[in-house]
Amino acid sequence: MIELTQLTKIYNGFTAVDRLSLRVDRGEIFGFIGPNGAGKTTTIKMLGGVLAPTAGSVVVGGIDLQAEPERAKRKIGFIPDRPYLYEKLTGLEFLRFTADIYGVPVSEFQPKATASLEKFALADWSNELIESYSHGMKQRLIMAAAVLHDPEVLIVDEPMVGLDPLAIIMVKKLFRQLAADGVTIFMSTHTLKIAEDICDRIGIISRGRLIANGTAADLRREANATEADLEQVFLNLTANVPAPE
Amino acid sequence: MNGLFADIGMLLRPRLLPVLRRGRSRRSRGGTTRLAMLGAVGAAFWCGLFVASWRVLRYFKGIEDIGDILAFKLLSMILIVCFALLLFSSILTCLSTLYLSRDLLLVHSSPVPAHRIFLARWIDSAADSGWMVILFTLPVFLAYGIVFAAGPGYYAATLLSLIVLAAIASALSALAVMAGVMLVPAGRMRSIVVILGVLLFVTLYLAIRLSRPEQLVNPEVFDTVMAYVASLQAPVSPLLPSTWAYDSIQSALAGFTARSFFHTALGASFAVTLICVLTLAADALYFKGFSRTQTASVRLVRRDGISERLFRFLPGPARSFTVKEIKTFLRDQTQWSQLFLIAALVVIYIYNFAALPLERSPIQTAYLQNLFSFLNMALALFVLTAVTARFAYPAVSLEREAFWLVKTSPVPLRTFLRIKFFIYYLPLLVLTEVLIVATNLLLQVTPFMMALSTVTVFFTVPGIVAMGIGLGAAFPDFKAENPAQTVTSFGGLVFMIACALYIGVVVLLEAGPVYRIFMADLHGRDLPVAVWLWAAAAFGAAFTLSLLAIVLSLRFGEKRLSKVHI
Repeated sequence: MIELTQLTKIYNGFTAVDRLSLRVDRGEIFGFIGPNGAGKTTTIKMLGGVLAPTAGSVVVGGIDLQAEPERAKRKIGFIPDRPYLYEKLTGLEFLRFTADIYGVPVSEFQPKATASLEKFALADWSNELIESYSHGMKQRLIMAAAVLHDPEVLIVDEPMVGLDPLAIIMVKKLFRQLAADGVTIFMSTHTLKIAEDICDRIGIISRGRLIANGTAADLRREANATEADLEQVFLNLTANVPAPE
Repeated sequence: MNGLFADIGMLLRPRLLPVLRRGRSRRSRGGTTRLAMLGAVGAAFWCGLFVASWRVLRYFKGIEDIGDILAFKLLSMILIVCFALLLFSSILTCLSTLYLSRDLLLVHSSPVPAHRIFLARWIDSAADSGWMVILFTLPVFLAYGIVFAAGPGYYAATLLSLIVLAAIASALSALAVMAGVMLVPAGRMRSIVVILGVLLFVTLYLAIRLSRPEQLVNPEVFDTVMAYVASLQAPVSPLLPSTWAYDSIQSALAGFTARSFFHTALGASFAVTLICVLTLAADALYFKGFSRTQTASVRLVRRDGISERLFRFLPGPARSFTVKEIKTFLRDQTQWSQLFLIAALVVIYIYNFAALPLERSPIQTAYLQNLFSFLNMALALFVLTAVTARFAYPAVSLEREAFWLVKTSPVPLRTFLRIKFFIYYLPLLVLTEVLIVATNLLLQVTPFMMALSTVTVFFTVPGIVAMGIGLGAAFPDFKAENPAQTVTSFGGLVFMIACALYIGVVVLLEAGPVYRIFMADLHGRDLPVAVWLWAAAAFGAAFTLSLLAIVLSLRFGEKRLSKVHI
């Protein structure tokens, strides 16, 4: 469903992502972890079509994101790490804005929006301006908007930042449910526990390179730390990674 | 005391370092050209102001008996206007720096007493609001010094007086803002101040305009002029800080150094007293006011759904962006003041044409009316440029950091820019056509001139709006605290210059053939074929230029915007 081939991003001579090749299948939850500045957000932005790669390609549902960006983006739901929104719209208006952009039929909008607002505990706030929402509420609203058009792929950058424990549990359940329904989820996170809990596969990126990729058990084997928790595995794998040429 | 200065210095350092390090960082090195261009425009404006002031003062000096009185009256008026400008800009800057800046949360979490935070922010705000007013009034004072052959003491006294005036204005504003924020949330207070400022300006302008000052040069009302001269010598209130600055500068001009120093010291002692009062008030009020600013604002109007119903006929993406644009515009109270300003501008503009004393002109009225009509076309397009600069140019930057929504959406940037273009094109076209038609009716122009101006405007407006959207997209600033002010940036300057050139070329292309056609019409002569061909070529070139302005600007904006990192 997602195929990254030799994906590279260079900013002013600095290689942020270095020849990243990866494949994520339909209905799979892929966790992308790595230290700060490793290239996670850059990769996520290239996947979401926000950033053009310097080299390589991103194919989503068989569509090349650079060749046919609009067609590919229709299949994607994007959730950034920072919830910047149109602050002068209400929650419901923002959902309608998103629905119109992604071509959700007018007749389907109201029931979908109502259900989504209920699910994300925003129903009572739907007619308030977004500027009065808390960080967590904005994050939940972005999630509600991202799944409104039934995307085939969900790209998520740090999904749990700013969410309360109840919302975290709800989001974990939602992701599992979406994956069971065939949605592919590509998720970056710093929280190793969350990656271990919900991801089918985990990729570790360091200094722009994918240094490990597999299930939690695979990673433990690779790091020669079969009994250790994922944090130790992460530390073992990311230590002494050479800088890109 | 040492602790106080150390804390203030520490708090000011993050604001000073970026200024001091400008040019050293990788990103700003590319901006040398921009800085040079902005500097050149600033220098040209500064020099122009100096030359204009010097000529006016030389003219005054040449008038016997009342020349000096006029020059000093002008000085007093300049200082009052300066003080009013400083007060107004200080209120807005104080609100932003003391209550609305994004870094305030971090600053208030630091272990520094509230009054020290306040003082550091106030110094920052005073410098921010005062430097431009001082810098751009200096050429006027320089002209005074030269025309009155003043000594070096005059320049020192002037600079000191202006700095003291800026400090007093900023301190008074900070006190007013501190008290105001306890009653009204800071965000809303800024809107109220801007609206009041605009209303005050418009009222003052209309009051002056309705008093018909141009009649003062009419010999028939000479008695009134004498009365006016007598009123020139009427004293200004001695309680106004601008009067102390005036007394100081005027004494220095006349060579009375000790008297000048006394008046400067009077102002300075008042400024110091105000700062002490400010510090005490800040301890009691500043943090409370800041806390109040953190609470969410309440919606004033809750009637919704009109725009959705109105634009139901549009396709999905176009409808979503149009509705979003209209709603965010109407809910942003800072935009309301701009609407007031435009309404006032239209009234003033049309009134000026109604007040033109054409019947007293020695030149043939029909010729003059149509000449004005032609020039009016250019003038209306310049007004449109200013309005476009305020509304259409910042349209892309107003997406702010939510621009990721556009980038990730399945809507191409080209479509996004076209939607923005049409949102602004239609109202701006109506505005300009209203200006042109109303003023032409007042001028009683020929049907040919009426048709020419309405058609020219119809084809030129989209070019200017497209340049606004395109160049705004090419030079966006998604992180600006006030995106509406992005027009003062390098991109805004490029937009202004491009529009001036565009309007100039269109007017030049049309001027020749229009003159020939109009004169032939006036004298009832037939036009030679060559003139018709010339006219066709000129209008064709103007039309092509407008098409190019639309296509090239939007393409340029799209190309640059696609490379922007968010």
